[in-house]
Amino acid sequence: MRIEIIHEIASSLRNNKLRTALTGFAVSWGIFLLIALLGAGNGLMNSFLGNVESFISQSVSVNGWRTSKPYNGYKEGRLIELDQKDLQYTEDPRWQGIIQNVSTRTGSSSASLTLNGKSVNGWITGVQPDYLVQEKIKLAAGRFINRADVQERRKVIVITTSQAKELVGEQPEAILGQWVKAGDISYRVVGVYHTDERDFRRATPIPFSTYKGIYDHSDKIARITFSLNGPQTLEEHKAFEEAYKSELKRLHDIAPDDNMGIWIRNGYTSNLQMNKGAHILRVALWILSLLTLVSGIVGVSNIMLITVKERTHEFGIRKAIGATPGAILRLIIAESVAITAFFGYMGMFLGMIACQIMDKTVGQHAVDIGIEKIQMLVNPSVGLDVALEATLLLIVAGSLAGAIPAWKAAKVKPIEALRAE
Amino acid sequence: MLIELKDINKTYDNGQPLHVLKGIDLQIDRGEFVSIMGASGSGKSTLLNILGILDNYDTGTYYLDGKLIKDLTERQAADYRNRMIGFIFQSFNLISFKTAVENVELPLYYQGVPRKKRHEMAMEYLEKLGLTPWAAHFPNEMSGGQKQRVAIARALITHPQIILADEPTGALDSKTSVEVMQLLKKLNQEEGITIIVVTHESGVANETDKIIHIKDGIIGQIEENIHHDAWGGPRMK
Repeated sequence: MRIEIIHEIASSLRNNKLRTALTGFAVSWGIFLLIALLGAGNGLMNSFLGNVESFISQSVSVNGWRTSKPYNGYKEGRLIELDQKDLQYTEDPRWQGIIQNVSTRTGSSSASLTLNGKSVNGWITGVQPDYLVQEKIKLAAGRFINRADVQERRKVIVITTSQAKELVGEQPEAILGQWVKAGDISYRVVGVYHTDERDFRRATPIPFSTYKGIYDHSDKIARITFSLNGPQTLEEHKAFEEAYKSELKRLHDIAPDDNMGIWIRNGYTSNLQMNKGAHILRVALWILSLLTLVSGIVGVSNIMLITVKERTHEFGIRKAIGATPGAILRLIIAESVAITAFFGYMGMFLGMIACQIMDKTVGQHAVDIGIEKIQMLVNPSVGLDVALEATLLLIVAGSLAGAIPAWKAAKVKPIEALRAE
Repeated sequence: MLIELKDINKTYDNGQPLHVLKGIDLQIDRGEFVSIMGASGSGKSTLLNILGILDNYDTGTYYLDGKLIKDLTERQAADYRNRMIGFIFQSFNLISFKTAVENVELPLYYQGVPRKKRHEMAMEYLEKLGLTPWAAHFPNEMSGGQKQRVAIARALITHPQIILADEPTGALDSKTSVEVMQLLKKLNQEEGITIIVVTHESGVANETDKIIHIKDGIIGQIEENIHHDAWGGPRMK
């Protein structure tokens, strides 16, 4: 009987070409929009996450800031500067297992770097070796500041590729081993790093100890950076930040309820929030796509209703010669499923082609947003799982669309159906 | 008795009640060739629809081949129609997007007969009715007489107990009408098929063995039509 019904459907669809085409278009369009929308959404998300990933690091940085409340005889607006005792506190055994890879950096001094009469602007900053990982620096050539550099206060420097190009021309690695002058002091260039066209990242790192010896003799620290192990949820991160900050506030005479004074940038929570945002975007896209599909289903249902009305006489004949209501029901639902499945597949195919076209056009296009260039769409496509889900959805949708018209057709009395013209 | 009707009543209620059949008693035996004749509005079509289990009746009893036909589910009714009754309609009622052979096959499709088998059977019946060259044609490519012969083949293919023909010549010219009636007569005489023809034309009724006159919802005179047997030929008007 299964093959029989396929023959029945085929002949009925063949002989109602315009109707079949119209119904098919409604479904194709719905699925096409669903796939294209989801594809574009995925592309947008990939681009968003990809762009963000390159500069949001999995680390926590702590900075001093201006207080906003008077406390303990101090006026508000006092600038807090971190120092050695804050570092000791951070490395305290009480945080063991939670705070890891503690690293520090100094403030920056603007300097003109010169080599063979050419000069370029830079920001000399004293850093620890961990700076490489925490700031997600990608080396183009050479090496980064290492422990020995810090211990021996070596006069070494790492500069950006664009600075290197300005000093030595197109081959930035040619600068490795050369001595550049910054004011009265000469530094040997040991590494060159990519800046991803992000020109705001002009820091030119030197060893922490070297900086302290030359530019700043105090025990001040501009920033403490560390990685975190333990807190998982947003709430846990918040709780950790509060606990960590409370002692720093005590050390610096900051009001316990002052939200300023100590400023924490938590890369983990940024990521969590971003994932949450991405999830919401994804859900919103699905809802939007499903609503589009619903309009397609309503279209099919509508056309099937008209079809059933048009074919009432035919169903009357079928009933007179022995078709049961079930047989009529099956015929219409099977027709509906056949139309939705076939044309849905076509829509899906076209939607995937549209994703490919988006990838080849908009996807290749980087948009300059001032401080950097970003790619609008990265790999806009939908996975096989989504395609399978959509197929399943189509079959369900087809049955749903056919259900009401089929029920109507099955219910009508043969004598009334035969009278209909 | 193949068909036994006792005190069949049927009232339509479209706004105001219309009593169409007012106590019909009728018996038709196996192998009879009967016509039900009456003017339009006499209730003859309603009677035919009840006989064909296309419509139900309000009171009375209807036995078809010993089975009480009353309060059937749609499913049962469809099954009885399929196995016991063959229909021939005035307007042929062929499915326009199916070829002649596909139309003839359709009742067997609803019996679940395999495709190949039913195609063979349908071709056999088309051959019997001289329609082999037209097997692959669609209804709109055939003449009225050809269409009615396809419909007759479709009615015969399930070996029904009775053939119900509702004004079978109503849409045909007089020459074709004679041919169709002779075909029905031949089927009755040679194969012993019970045939009931509903008509308002006395010429058509005269071709049958028994004429049942119906007027205002009751059976009037039942005429044994001995003439055409005695004279051995058709007596069209």
